[in-house]
Amino acid sequence: MSDDFLSRLHEEPRPEFAEQLGEHLREIDTHARERRLAPSAYRRFVPALAGAGLVAALALAFTLEPVRAAAREFLDLFRVKRFAAVPVDPQRLERLAKGGLDFKSLVADQVQVVVAPEEPALVASPEAGAVDAGIVAQLPTVLPRRTELAETRVARPGTFRVQVDTAKLEALALAAGADEIEIPAWWNGATVDVEMPPVLALRYARTVEAGEGRPPREDSFLLFQAATPQVELPEGFDLAILGRLGLRLAGMSADEALSFSRAIDWRATFLVPVPVQGGTFREVGVSGQRGLLVTVQPPRRTAPAPEGPARRAHSVLLWSTADKVFALQGPATHDGVEILEMAQSIQ
Amino acid sequence: MDGVRILEWLALAVPVEGVDWDAVYREEMPRVFNYFRYRGFERATAEDLTSATFEKAWRARDRYRKDRAAASTWLLAIARNAATDHLRRSRATVPLVEASVPDERTPEEAALRGEHIRRLRELLSELPGRERELLALKYGAEATNRAIATITGLGESNVGTILHRTIGTLRARWDEGGTQ
Repeated sequence: MSDDFLSRLHEEPRPEFAEQLGEHLREIDTHARERRLAPSAYRRFVPALAGAGLVAALALAFTLEPVRAAAREFLDLFRVKRFAAVPVDPQRLERLAKGGLDFKSLVADQVQVVVAPEEPALVASPEAGAVDAGIVAQLPTVLPRRTELAETRVARPGTFRVQVDTAKLEALALAAGADEIEIPAWWNGATVDVEMPPVLALRYARTVEAGEGRPPREDSFLLFQAATPQVELPEGFDLAILGRLGLRLAGMSADEALSFSRAIDWRATFLVPVPVQGGTFREVGVSGQRGLLVTVQPPRRTAPAPEGPARRAHSVLLWSTADKVFALQGPATHDGVEILEMAQSIQ
Repeated sequence: MDGVRILEWLALAVPVEGVDWDAVYREEMPRVFNYFRYRGFERATAEDLTSATFEKAWRARDRYRKDRAAASTWLLAIARNAATDHLRRSRATVPLVEASVPDERTPEEAALRGEHIRRLRELLSELPGRERELLALKYGAEATNRAIATITGLGESNVGTILHRTIGTLRARWDEGGTQ
């Protein structure tokens, strides 16, 4: 049966439409590139919170390669209960990278994306966002002066699976000068699943009027909350070994790494990297929980400042409850008092 | 914080397959546009929906997995959702006829072709939604039966059967109307 007659409706799109749409798509790429280059609080901190359980698996992520399927019937869990600061020397990491340690390709090669991450999506209200994120929203009742809720988003950081390649872990230990660390041979091919629940992200903002020689600016306070992320580990998987490797990479001596490693519960502690230069941290109490307040100063400029807003010090407060993790980031004013007051009022 | 940078590296691990998206745009845009036209949308609406489809796909293309479906199938799935959303939002009814007469060599040819198009649109508009959608995918988007099955969730043989029956019905009506 001929169906030629059905093709008669076919028509070419208008050339000007095709051109305009093509141009529009190129603009999307241009804007996306600009966003990637611009510092964005959301971009930087959503993964930081959502990947809370992830840090313990970071060293794995450095080095993994699918070798063989691991038996996954026996699993241990990593769940975030507390936070610990780890001084990290960024220059050391840069030196290692320059020495041929290609972190980026090692990660890209070994991580399988099970559920792809999604850009944070704007939602109508914290309540709507909480429903979307599958949590009960907890909101601050005290805000810094002239500060209001500006927007609410829900981010879905995704789910990842990594497979251990012991040869690469050993190569990494060698590069870090950590030959005292022995990587168990049975780890080879073991699978680690990292599940990062949806994150409710609230941005509070205030406008700071122009001052003497200072342009007006907007300060943002970002509150993130999510169900506790979790990492599924093969039974008997000793995170302390991996943790020590990470600490050695970060710049600790063998003795320091061993001592630190013995002092923490690797199955419940989220390590927060703090730059050795310009970073400070202290433990604080938040609603009966132990939190970690980290303040990071912008690096000193060695060249004239480029145009754009001045880079300012900021603080991040991290804490957890029985079933949720929180992060609150904002300007590092008054020794973090504004952030602490805001966090203490969350109900 | 450098830990954050490390976490961002993880995001880079999202497999970005070697897809030439400019080529995908050149090849698939007319198909997506015609899919909407065959669904019965007016030209301006079809252009809007085509734009929405490509904009959405463009922003999400880093997450496209070549191993799961061809880019054309992936795009048509997005287009189908765009059409559904549009109809739901506007409760739009598709126009029975649209006076769209492309350039022809002579006024007589133009008139004849215009009549054919008007008649064909009328016949398509009388079809149930599912049959019309399958025809739009088959003849507007030039999708294979397998791709249509993937997009609609119907079985491939079922797609073939429905299309065969629908084309037979249309052919008979077409011939009844004396249009050749």
